[in-house]
Order: sequence, then structure tokens, then C-alpha cells
Amino acid sequence: MAQPRLASVTRLFARVGVTVFGGGDPTIAILQREFYRRDWLSAEKFAIAFGLARLTPGTNVLAFCAAAGWYIRGLPGALTAVLAITIPASVLVVWLTRAYDLTGHYPLALSIANALVAAAVGTMVGAAVLLVRTQSSRGRWLRPIVISLGAFVLAYFAKLSPLQVIGAAVVVGFFWVES
Amino acid sequence: MNLVVLYLLLVKATLTSFSGLASLPVVRTDFVVRRHVLTDRQLNTAVAASRIGPGPLGIYVVSVGYLAGGVPGACVGWLAMITPAFLIIPMLRFLGVRAEHPRARAVARAVLFAGAGLMLSAAAPMARDAITGPLSLAIVAASLILIAITRVDSLWVMLGAAVVGMLSFLF
Repeated sequence: MAQPRLASVTRLFARVGVTVFGGGDPTIAILQREFYRRDWLSAEKFAIAFGLARLTPGTNVLAFCAAAGWYIRGLPGALTAVLAITIPASVLVVWLTRAYDLTGHYPLALSIANALVAAAVGTMVGAAVLLVRTQSSRGRWLRPIVISLGAFVLAYFAKLSPLQVIGAAVVVGFFWVES
Repeated sequence: MNLVVLYLLLVKATLTSFSGLASLPVVRTDFVVRRHVLTDRQLNTAVAASRIGPGPLGIYVVSVGYLAGGVPGACVGWLAMITPAFLIIPMLRFLGVRAEHPRARAVARAVLFAGAGLMLSAAAPMARDAITGPLSLAIVAASLILIAITRVDSLWVMLGAAVVGMLSFLF
């Protein structure tokens, strides 16, 4: 795994913090994709960060960023990741709070925001596909696909919470070990 | 409003919830119902501002802090939002070398695949709102392909979508 400079960590997290719309899930999807592209975080460490973030109180994506930053550059990395992803976005949200009553008069801004949410949807599906594709080697595709689709069914159709779905994955992962 | 009290109320709300907007009922009870610091309309503005802006939905507590205490209040709201995130570090330290065990790695990989399924389940309801016509469908398809197949930087995907959104309004 590459060990990036803190300035690079700051740049990535700050950039994702202000360009990804639609909440925490698309943010994690984009970060996962960028970690993979830059070789910053192994799939196993990503999984641990992702799973534990769901068990951490507060905003899950920030716990995920703290964990990813910690794996990448230790405690300074965790601090950098959380500060970089939240400070620029917080400045923007304060500005939006002030301007909110005016936004109805700016359909251009709404048109751009709608396009960004559509891109966030495509990004999330693309990141899920990428995640399964990169972890499925020849002859080892059954477990990734069954667990991914099972999690989707449990969350979307059975309406289980993410925490319950991850709990089910832990049980399946414990008993179904790849040979 | 006293900034220490503001911090304690907001951090109580964030520490007792497990996702972005799950703290909203606690915030409403404390700020609207009990203390009358905010109105329901202001709370709605805070939530709406977080939804139309980038970043996690939980960022609405920054907006609540701003409405309750101006810019210092926004800083306090930001601090309350990020405080719980660092609770994950002791958990990671506890896992440490235990995470290298083959069975632990198998569990981690199962959680990873479940994460892919959870991303799909989160994308499905968003897609219902986001896909309003052929253009938005094309944006979803193009971004999906670019992210899943190519190594193009995600920044360009987002900027491209913003440009398409702007052009679709202008023409």
C-alpha cells in the first residue's frame, strides 16, 4: 500500500467533502473508489472501517473517514481526514443556511444539484460493482455475489437496518470461509 | 445561547444516534420544544440546507448551531458533529493484529461485500427521486460506467454532471 503525504490526504478528503452530494453513502462509495485507484487502503481495512463505522455513534461517514485516515497515516491521518472532509462542507452549509430562502429563485442551482444527485446514484452503483468485481477472482465469484445480493435483499426488501445487515454478514463470513 | 450548553445539547444528540438525520428528534425536542431556541421552520431550513449541499446529512447540526448561536454556534455544531467519529479509533486499536487472523479476514471480506449490497440499497430510493427523465438517466448510466470500468478521477464525473445540469437548464 502507498503511504501518501498528509497534504494529499487533505486534498482528497476536502475535495470529496465539497463535490459529493446525496449524503454519506455516495461519499463512502467515492472514497472507496479513490482509495482503490491510489492504492491507499486494502480491501480488508476498508471493510473493517466500513463495518465499525456503522457501530460508532454519530454520523457514520465521519467515523469511516477517521478509520480510513487512521489506517492511512495514523492519528494525524484520522484528524486530517475528518477535518478536511467537514470544514469546507460546513462553511458551505452555513452559507446555504443563510441563502436558503433565496434558493427557490435560482432554478439553475437546482438543475445543477439534481444532476449531481443523479451522478451520485450512478457513482454508488458503480462503486458497488467495482468493489465486487475487484474482489472476485476466477472461481471465487460465488461468495462475493451471494453476500452482496443477500445484503441488498435484506436491506431493501426486508427493511433490515445497515447494522443488522452487517451483523448477518459477520455470521455468514465467520461460517463460510473460502477454501 | 451559551456555547457550552449548545455543544452539550448537540453532542448528546449526535452521540445517541447512529446515522446522519437520526439525531433530529432529539435536536427538535431540545431546541424547539423545551428551550424554544429554534422554530420548526428554522429546523426545516437547517435540514434542507444540509440536503441541498454536499457532505453528510449529519452536517445539519452545523446549520442548527449557526441558527442558534451565529458563526461561533456553527463552530460548536461542527465540533459536536465530529466528536463521536473519533470513538472508532479505540475500536480499531483493539482489533489490531486480531484482524490478521484468517477467519477475521473472511469476516471482513463478508462485511465488504455486504457493504456493496448496502450501497445498492441506498442508491435505489435515491434513484427514484433522481431519475426524472432521459437526461438524468443518461447521467446515472454514464457515471456508473465511468466509475465501475475506467480509472477516471471521480472529480471529473461530478464536474461533468454539473456542466450537463447547467447546460440542460440553459438550452
